[in-house]
Amino acid sequence: MKPLSKTLDRWFGRGEASITTPPMDGAFRPNDLLDTATIVLEAPAPDGLAAIAQGLVVSSGQSLKRVNKPADAPVATFDAEISAVTELPDGGAAVGLFDGRIAFVGGQNDGKTIAAQAGLQCVTALTPTRDGALLVANGSAIHGPADWKRDLMEKNACGSVWRLDPASGAREQIAGDLAYPYGLLDEGEAVVISESWRSTLTRIVPGASKRNVPVIEGLPAYPSRLSRGAGGAIWLALFAPRSQLVEFVLREDHFRRRMIEKIDPDFWTAPSLRSGRSPLEPTQQGGVKQLGVLKPWSPSRSYGLAARLDSAYRPIASFHSRANGRRHGVTSCLAFDGRIYFAAKGDGIVVSFADNGATS
Amino acid sequence: MTLSSQAEPPLLEMKGVGKHYRGVAALKDIDFDLRRGEVHAILGENGAGKSTLVKILAGAVTPTQGEIRIEGQPVQIASPSLARRYGIAMVYQETSLVPSMTVAQNLYLGDEKFFNRLRGTYIDAQQFLQSLNFPVDPTATVQSLGTAKRQMVEIARAVRLKAKIIIFDEPTATLTPEEKHHLFALTDRLRKDKVSIIFISHALEEALEISDRITILRDGAHVITDDAKSFTRETIIRHMVGRSLTNELYGRAGARAAPRPPGAKVLSVQNLSMQNQVRNTSFSIFAGQVTGVFGLVGSGRTETARIIAGVVKRDAFHGGDIRLGDKSVRYRTPRAAVGDGVVYVTEDRKGDGFFETMSVADNIYVGRISSRESRGVLANRSEMNALAKQWTQKLNIRALSGDSSVIELSGGNQQKVVIAKGLVQDPKLVIFDEPTRGVDVGAIAEIHQLIGALADDGLAVVVISSYLPEILSLADRILVSRQGRIVEELSPDEATSEAVMFAAVY
Repeated sequence: MKPLSKTLDRWFGRGEASITTPPMDGAFRPNDLLDTATIVLEAPAPDGLAAIAQGLVVSSGQSLKRVNKPADAPVATFDAEISAVTELPDGGAAVGLFDGRIAFVGGQNDGKTIAAQAGLQCVTALTPTRDGALLVANGSAIHGPADWKRDLMEKNACGSVWRLDPASGAREQIAGDLAYPYGLLDEGEAVVISESWRSTLTRIVPGASKRNVPVIEGLPAYPSRLSRGAGGAIWLALFAPRSQLVEFVLREDHFRRRMIEKIDPDFWTAPSLRSGRSPLEPTQQGGVKQLGVLKPWSPSRSYGLAARLDSAYRPIASFHSRANGRRHGVTSCLAFDGRIYFAAKGDGIVVSFADNGATS
Repeated sequence: MTLSSQAEPPLLEMKGVGKHYRGVAALKDIDFDLRRGEVHAILGENGAGKSTLVKILAGAVTPTQGEIRIEGQPVQIASPSLARRYGIAMVYQETSLVPSMTVAQNLYLGDEKFFNRLRGTYIDAQQFLQSLNFPVDPTATVQSLGTAKRQMVEIARAVRLKAKIIIFDEPTATLTPEEKHHLFALTDRLRKDKVSIIFISHALEEALEISDRITILRDGAHVITDDAKSFTRETIIRHMVGRSLTNELYGRAGARAAPRPPGAKVLSVQNLSMQNQVRNTSFSIFAGQVTGVFGLVGSGRTETARIIAGVVKRDAFHGGDIRLGDKSVRYRTPRAAVGDGVVYVTEDRKGDGFFETMSVADNIYVGRISSRESRGVLANRSEMNALAKQWTQKLNIRALSGDSSVIELSGGNQQKVVIAKGLVQDPKLVIFDEPTRGVDVGAIAEIHQLIGALADDGLAVVVISSYLPEILSLADRILVSRQGRIVEELSPDEATSEAVMFAAVY
């Protein structure tokens, strides 16, 4: 009966086969808070944020830059682009590079580099554990961090999470078959990861019989980095919005294959860190003004979004840069020194505002 | 009202009129008079005796005591046909039209010629409806019309009968602001034509706006009759309930308590579509909150709620998704929805809410046997009586006994029975559609308290209402519906009447 009902559902476009997206309402009600936040740094593609001994740093291209001292020289510069960064308990930072290497800056492992290893070449997030190990999110076993759009359009679910010993470089896989893990939060016995292509947060308990437990499902955007804030709050960055158009394209295998083969990835009908700037982009030109807000006639492929979750991972507030905003593609956010910082990779800026626990 | 009209003898006079049911007084010694060409509002809580009083005039109920005079002559109004002969027409709160007949056929029902030319009837009906400014198609069957348009047909029928006295029982409960404007203009015209109108409404502002005099009843007894301009909303309420209810009713709008924080997401409606009534609408409902849904008649609120509750079906192709918790659901019958803890309390209580000839206890038990808790196939009389006792006490349903049939109850108590029938099903999500339509102020306060208590108990509560003060006072979160979809979400702090109405209209 199940295959028959599944076939019927596919034919009617209902049930699991319905092309729908969760609404942005409740705690995700749109606002303009990100657009009203203060710009603290303008840099090419700012991505990961980390609070280290030298202050707050952000990865931008091949450098780690100081957020609050933009005129100062970078804290570190590498020979490859940075794909992930995290602070370590000793005040240093661990940095994942586009070629799969993991390098250490400051702290007891300063200058050390762990070579790229097979199956671990798409480092999207890093976080230290309480026992001194390093958790590494590997977004995809097939593509590198630059090819995240291709990974989504191929509907891959070949990401993994690894536990790495910084001293020896020994590694152990603690979870696999993940749909682009892009954020990590260590809970001691468990790890919570953001699975971008499934739009969920998932708790992994290494060694438990049922290892993957959804924490939040049906997010209205693709989640990326997770971090802890004041008062038990958890911050979640969401780098691009989900739309019915993209969900539809994800179901149209033939169309998607041809699109991947023939069209430049920048112009795919796919989520983007920043869209609407090129007239060559499909379905992004034109719009209507409704209730005083300019709305594109087609759903925007880029958006700025971050959410504050409570300690039980329930969304309690969100911070938006809407279709007509200028802080799109937020890949990480971090609470630091009484303020909350957002790295808007799509628009090349880091913004912040006072972390006073306000809700949207 | 003019001085000359005051000098004339009243068109209608009732002296010492009373009515007893099984020894219980529904009306006690009422004196009432109606002048020629005046609009006279009768106000009171549900159960105050308003409906009984006007039913006596309409010939539907025979008084047990007292005297009625029309134009000075004593009369016995023993039947509705006799009432019509005396020039009394009644527009009922719940329409009394024949659903399978067309609008024109309903208008001319009872006046058909031996050889009836349908085309001529339709032309006459069209002209007549246009003269009243009612946009209703005379060839449409009544069952295809919405509640507001049915009400218009009901009013048109009374006007067509050229009655001297027209009784409006809650005529505006289902009308949009524009339709109300038309009705009030029509009332003015009738007044100028020396037609007298008895106007029953729970919307006190309307009574103050259009009536010349106001009579207030309480517990079946006459309290006061005076010129409308000598009343304010507060004095009316005080006379109606014997205490001030202003704060209990819509007090939160002024000094609002903090809105309840959202709990877990209970329901997620994603891109739901049904023909052109529900258009790609998406929203979420959270536990422990009252979510108010405001919109004009025809904005798709009720249809969306009915799809969620399995009463009607969404589009077969790409009709969207409804997720209850983490489960995608598609109910084909309300029973399946009830099984999952989704309860819809209908706006049309008489049509869909209860079995009118069955008792209060039977109706509540019907709710129970369709719930998840129900076991067995045979009715358990002791369980039925215990449930009836529990819920009549809990919701303060004023019935003579559990054996009273629901049709004997006032509108507010009928509504409480419908609510009890839903709540007995142990729901997780309750959708109230116009919960206080045609309900008196005392019962409104009780229903509002109940809705708040359900949210406090952690249930997800949705209140659909066309009455803005109700939404503003009750809701912890306000969704505005327009043209088949949710177009705006407002927090109570942002929600002013202007902001909500702007989103609903533009």
